[in-house]
Amino acid sequence: MFKNNIYIIFILLFGLIFPIGYFTGLIPINTLTLWGRYFCLAIAALGVDLIWGYTGILSMTQALFFCMGAYGMGMYMTLSNLPKGQLLPSFMIWNQVEELPFFWVPFDNFSYALVLSILVPGVFAGILGYFIFRKRIKGVYFAIITQAIALAMFLLFSRNETMLGGTNGLTDFKFFLGFDLRDNAVKFGLYALSLISLGLIYWYCHNLVNSKFGKSLVAIRDSESRMRFTKYKVAHYNVAIFMIGAMVAAVGGMLYMPQTGIITPGRMDVQASIEMIIWVALGGRGRLKGAVIGTLVLNLMYSVFTTLLPSSWLYILGGLFVVTVLYLPKGVVGLVDQIKEKLNGMFAKTA
Amino acid sequence: MKNKISFFVTFIMLVTGWAKEVLPNNIPLDTCVQVILQKDVARIKEVANYIVANDDVAIYPLISAIIDKRLYSYNDRAVTKFPGDSLYYSVYPVLKSVDLSGLKIKEVKLARSVRNQFNSLVKKVNLIHPNPSIREMSFRSFKTGSSLSDIAFLESIIKNEKNKDVLLAAEEAIYSIWLSSGDVALQNKALTEIEKEVNVYMLESLTEYVKSTTNIGGKERAENIIDDIKSREKTINIIQNLFSGISLGSVLLLVALGLSIIYGLGGVINMSHGEFVMIGAYTAFSIQQFFIAFLPESLFDFFFWVSLPFSFIVSGLFGLLVEKLVIRFLYNRPLESLLGTWGVSLILIQLARTIFGDVTAVKSPEILSGGINVAAGLILPFNRLFIIGLTVVMVLLTYFMFFKSKLGLKIRAVTQNRNMSASLGVSVKRIDSLTFFLGSGLAGVAGCAMTLIGNVVPNMGQTYIVDSFLVVVVGGVGKLIGTIISAMGIGVLSKVFEFFYEAVYGKVILLLIIFFFLQYKPKGLFSDKGRHSDD
Repeated sequence: MFKNNIYIIFILLFGLIFPIGYFTGLIPINTLTLWGRYFCLAIAALGVDLIWGYTGILSMTQALFFCMGAYGMGMYMTLSNLPKGQLLPSFMIWNQVEELPFFWVPFDNFSYALVLSILVPGVFAGILGYFIFRKRIKGVYFAIITQAIALAMFLLFSRNETMLGGTNGLTDFKFFLGFDLRDNAVKFGLYALSLISLGLIYWYCHNLVNSKFGKSLVAIRDSESRMRFTKYKVAHYNVAIFMIGAMVAAVGGMLYMPQTGIITPGRMDVQASIEMIIWVALGGRGRLKGAVIGTLVLNLMYSVFTTLLPSSWLYILGGLFVVTVLYLPKGVVGLVDQIKEKLNGMFAKTA
Repeated sequence: MKNKISFFVTFIMLVTGWAKEVLPNNIPLDTCVQVILQKDVARIKEVANYIVANDDVAIYPLISAIIDKRLYSYNDRAVTKFPGDSLYYSVYPVLKSVDLSGLKIKEVKLARSVRNQFNSLVKKVNLIHPNPSIREMSFRSFKTGSSLSDIAFLESIIKNEKNKDVLLAAEEAIYSIWLSSGDVALQNKALTEIEKEVNVYMLESLTEYVKSTTNIGGKERAENIIDDIKSREKTINIIQNLFSGISLGSVLLLVALGLSIIYGLGGVINMSHGEFVMIGAYTAFSIQQFFIAFLPESLFDFFFWVSLPFSFIVSGLFGLLVEKLVIRFLYNRPLESLLGTWGVSLILIQLARTIFGDVTAVKSPEILSGGINVAAGLILPFNRLFIIGLTVVMVLLTYFMFFKSKLGLKIRAVTQNRNMSASLGVSVKRIDSLTFFLGSGLAGVAGCAMTLIGNVVPNMGQTYIVDSFLVVVVGGVGKLIGTIISAMGIGVLSKVFEFFYEAVYGKVILLLIIFFFLQYKPKGLFSDKGRHSDD
């Protein structure tokens, strides 16, 4: 049997069948865009898996970092989409702002925007992580503090004075890098870009968790004080993985932005972060595969159920939280592995 | 009977006809009242004009009744009725109650245009309005744009006034008129009176006086009073903010108390704790609906007192159910319990939304409306005072349960060392369930209390849950005294910051302070001394 058949299925399905379906007209472009968005969320979920699954830190700021990336891209797109002659985004004009705020200026340039969208969340996570991990705040305390931070940032982003579009967020884009976003070819391009990015980041994360650094993370998760006693600087590892997770999420957000065309503070609240965690938990904590599978499955379910039975979605989601925590400690991937082992055992006996 | 009426009508037609032809400014008021009770619109309008021009205090009760649409008639006598009073009162010549039991009373309906004719008199007529707060307001309205000639009129009205607040407002009006009169003697008299008892509502009139006067001595005196008023206002503001901070803190405390005990006991982060608050509120709402549907109106005010213990029990039972179904398996797995109970909270919110819809409100009982008027401009509302009092009682009960009862002893034992307690014969599972019942019940009481100050909505618990967790973390997990101090601290600080900065920035600053506080004391205010092994 192939050891890696799940990868092959994934690549065949999304890299071959979907594009063929699209080019033969069997699969509408909007389906592809939808999956493209799921890939972006899966990238963020990979970050959650690194932080929570491998290192055991439950962070409630992952959606915030995802949004920071998206806002960075959104700021670039807002500025590049301004009609001729208009120097400021419309919402600033409504708020009687005369001059572009200083932190908007570098986002006029795509390459600056690209770098800053990743760097800003990274640095923010670094500072935050430094202060929290320095004092060995972890576990529940970490979860509650990051929850408070997420709430504070949500409140700040929702204000008009912070010049980030308030509760309406950033929206109304027609072009991305000069390409018309309504064009099917551009949509397909973004889908392909998301898929490739997901693949690359997956590969990166895979190497990371299999490196010495990754093994140390798992050791921290399983026994932090023993790591400390053997002279590892646990806080440094924690800060590092927290930053990496944040930047991975930001990449997801950056790709997400041109595909949805809107980003609002509603995407960064506590609930959004907790949902990301449940994607990973359902898929399989501490397994990169699990993060991707969980994200895709849950978001697909979300799309299906909110159209078919809108009022039932919260029951289903809530039920999944409970079932996952109680009965699927290793997620779907773990369950499949268990079943496989059992089957193998049976075959071994009969053979 | 019919004869009598027709006689009366002819009589009135005669009289008014006569009045119209000869001298319109000499109609007896008695006749005016009779005209208004009839249906001849043209005549009524004429009479209304006459009444307005004549402006006699004796007719005010009638005008008031007309404006408020509570004019009735029986047997050609004009009577009125006041809200919340089943008796009828005659409106002219004197306002006094009349016994009309068993008689047929008709409502006198007047066209809008007729009622509007009296608009110019509303300000004056409201001075004798049955509702004291309207009387108070209309006296205040005389503070600007009135002249000395109004004083005699105002004084004639306050002769019969008994309400203290209204009398105060009347005094304000008279002093303000004196101040703006331009007569130095009267102005000085007003200043002397104001100096005797400083009243914050005089600020505007005094400022106006300082601007216009040329009398240097008077100006100085007025400025001194203004400074005094301003410093008083500042104090009042601070007290008001402290007070609302304390009441916010008490709500947080009620919510956080159960949270803290449960976390200390079982290492469970209960994200659905806020939903027990919501269940408590909906219990109060359901009991209110039950009272409306099945019990006489006179008993309605009792519903709130009935719902307090019910909220405790219903929320507690829900808590017990959740404990048995989900949380039982998650003791000492805080992060998993956080996720699992978040799921529970989603289900409970959606359940409430399915059953009750989106927004519902609970009416406060009569006894808790209004407030204590501590000083002019400083009102402490009864409902908030009640919440503070309730919190004190609940905290005391919790304290005694915790430190003076056998159950509390067992709870503390399990909190300290679960396995050791089990081996010494404490039934750990029973203690877990009981504690969960009590903690959720406390949240339910908090929810019931919250119906006094806000709407009941399915996600109302979410508003408080993050703050409550901060209270627990800052206070030190499982520590009663720490929870109390941090709840009060966070409540008061957030109101104070809201006062100095805008609400959102106040909140952000508070979160930053907590963030840095935890740098300094990572385990909260009151943490267990000594070392604990983490792994």
